[in-house]
Amino acid sequence: MAMAKSKINVNIIDTTLRNGEQTAGVVFSKHEKIRIAKMLDEIGISEIEIGTPSLGSIEREIVSEILNDSFNAKLFVYCEAEPENIEYAVKCGAKNVVINISTSDIHIREKYKKNKTWVISKLRETIKAARKSKLKFIISAEDATRTELGFLLKLISIAEKKGAYRFRLCDTVSRLDPFRTFLFISTISNVSSIPIEVYNHNDFGMATANGMAALRGGASSMVVSVGGLGEGTGNAAMEEIVMALKYLENVELGIETSKFREIAEYVARASSRAVPVWKAIVGTNVFAHESGIHADGVIKNPKNYEVFNPAEVGLTRQLVVGKHSGSHTILHKFKEFGIDLTDKQANEILAMARDMSVDLKRHLFDKELMYIYNEYKKKSKKKKEKLEDEE
Amino acid sequence: MREIDLFTEFSQKAGTKIDPRDIKIDDTTLRDGEQTAGVVFANEEKVHIAKMLDDIGVHQIEAGVPVMGGDEKEAIKKIASLGLGCSILGWNRAVRSDIDASVECGVDAVAISISSSDIHIEQKLGKSREWVLESIKSCVDYAKGFNLYVSVNAEDSSRTDMEFLLSFARTARDAGADRLRYCDTLGILDPFETFIRVKTIIDIIGIDIEMHTHNDFGMAIANAIAGIKAGATYVNTTVNGLGERAGNAAFEELVMALKHIEGVDMGFNTTLFRALSEYVARASSRVLPTWKPIVGGNLFVYEAESKASGVLANPETYELFSNKDVGLERKVMLGKYSGVNTIIYKLNTLGIKISRKEAEELGEVIRDKTVALKRALFDSEIIDTYKSYKRKSGAGKSAKKGGK
Repeated sequence: MAMAKSKINVNIIDTTLRNGEQTAGVVFSKHEKIRIAKMLDEIGISEIEIGTPSLGSIEREIVSEILNDSFNAKLFVYCEAEPENIEYAVKCGAKNVVINISTSDIHIREKYKKNKTWVISKLRETIKAARKSKLKFIISAEDATRTELGFLLKLISIAEKKGAYRFRLCDTVSRLDPFRTFLFISTISNVSSIPIEVYNHNDFGMATANGMAALRGGASSMVVSVGGLGEGTGNAAMEEIVMALKYLENVELGIETSKFREIAEYVARASSRAVPVWKAIVGTNVFAHESGIHADGVIKNPKNYEVFNPAEVGLTRQLVVGKHSGSHTILHKFKEFGIDLTDKQANEILAMARDMSVDLKRHLFDKELMYIYNEYKKKSKKKKEKLEDEE
Repeated sequence: MREIDLFTEFSQKAGTKIDPRDIKIDDTTLRDGEQTAGVVFANEEKVHIAKMLDDIGVHQIEAGVPVMGGDEKEAIKKIASLGLGCSILGWNRAVRSDIDASVECGVDAVAISISSSDIHIEQKLGKSREWVLESIKSCVDYAKGFNLYVSVNAEDSSRTDMEFLLSFARTARDAGADRLRYCDTLGILDPFETFIRVKTIIDIIGIDIEMHTHNDFGMAIANAIAGIKAGATYVNTTVNGLGERAGNAAFEELVMALKHIEGVDMGFNTTLFRALSEYVARASSRVLPTWKPIVGGNLFVYEAESKASGVLANPETYELFSNKDVGLERKVMLGKYSGVNTIIYKLNTLGIKISRKEAEELGEVIRDKTVALKRALFDSEIIDTYKSYKRKSGAGKSAKKGGK
């Protein structure tokens, strides 16, 4: 069945520069757009959506410059279905386009104020313009998951006949869970021969899981973005999809993952959105261990609480001392500082560290641990002297 | 990846109706949430969070680890004495003295946690499988003696050999445990694998299952839902997904996904979600990302023409639930991707009426400005941009007139 084709042929297309930038409040400078495109290319992302030429002259200038540069990745530009938009794409020197059109009744009625016939003819006109300019094109069905199936299949067959490169199904309002995604995609991929691409959103926190479920259902391509940057809650995060493919499905895309943290940080700065410390795969807290049980387990063997080595995504492991720490962490931590403690000393220092952590409402910095240690030494020295005096 | 037949079978269950009365939320913001590296709640904050969760309608609160003593124990005692509508649970290792500490706090439920995977048993605990089963038996028996509701937590369930996990569940059930917590401690399952494993336990052992999932690969919510589809009846959540490493299944995401995707409405007061999330974000010193699912400040803020024009015509074009449902506001801002409809609407809200032609021309100016500033425009900047555009076009017109 459809399943088999997904295993070897997984493709990801990154839309950080298009839908990522389309996020309310996010704007990249020209320099940043070029830099991000290069970084994605360098780590081995095979397809990149770089922008929307119809937006205006400033976007066209940036898109042209990227298209004139040399990349290994295949570069796509994005157009709402409209022949005029294809002209803008061609002017920029684009060879590949994504042609997007809404297909659900609610979008056609409320947003376009048109009907299905209009959608079909708009799509045909735009495809005609793209073919005339010898562009490769992906057809993208917006709000596909709320679209009547018969109509969707009709559009897919038009795309097939006209030689579209792929057909993109967008879960625009995050309507599906992974099981429904699987059913939806397998239903479509079983009756069509065109490669299927999915575009998932994260409104209920399931973008990555839905993307993976779509692959099981027979899709061969996924739209992703760095850190999941995108409109609303964002998209399936590039780094999550790549690592989930590798560690949960044994699919190795050959991407240089050790640059993930660096890219995440760059995009975060360019979009003025800090990477949350708990962001899956690239957050700085992902390899930070505090609680006694976890830290102790990690000290004994990182595999107790880590699936892959932090270096694989450009991070480092940290042992953090705070309210939930245990004495093993203290012993280990001070060993790093070059100080060997006895179990008794570790327990006494732990009690002081816990109190301080509750008082400060956070974990302790290494320096603070040293202050505690110095204080502890002074105290025990005094105690000793006192005992000697009493003797 | 597994054979397709299985998945087809699962997906056919995609639409299976679940009775909302069967599903219960056990929130662990105060325990696993606080266990996050760097996070410490003050006792007053803990009490406040517990009250908010109870107001919203949560079924059980995991209030902390009584055996830690000190402030931790005080907070749990206090929460247990508030007379909240929900059950209060204390977390314990599989050690009798831990359970004693829970009893002293006056909780009505306990979780007894012990690792079930060989790697944890051998490398972390330095014990054997037999020792694990013995500890469960002895501790469940002990806790039941105090008439407590007992959850047995199988830590690292996902890396546990299935045969042993079944023995683990059977031992817990036979000792009188009320439920088994399935802990995907490392967040390494996907929804399909989760479904198979949870369903196997339910089919063979027949014990209530609680899902405890982690977000290491971004699948915490999807896996919790997969567990429910397989027959699990409890989910262990945290507000904002606060938790170790990449965090847990987010309370607000799970409740809304159940309601809007699975049709399971537990009757929670979701309008308090934003307030709760903000409170927990502050108490944990973690800024709430503006794009956070369900409660992020930017979720109902529209800039791009394609979306804004749809939402302005009918919010249902892009929204499955309304901003009011979760205590957020809907807004339109102008930026690089804004077009004619968005610009006309936005200026109208600022008390300025303009034509389509004007909006087109103004759009070009606004785009250049946003690219130069690298952000969307503030309202005062929009008004200012409009005024100078008006002045220029006015000057252009009079120049033309003058030329006549």
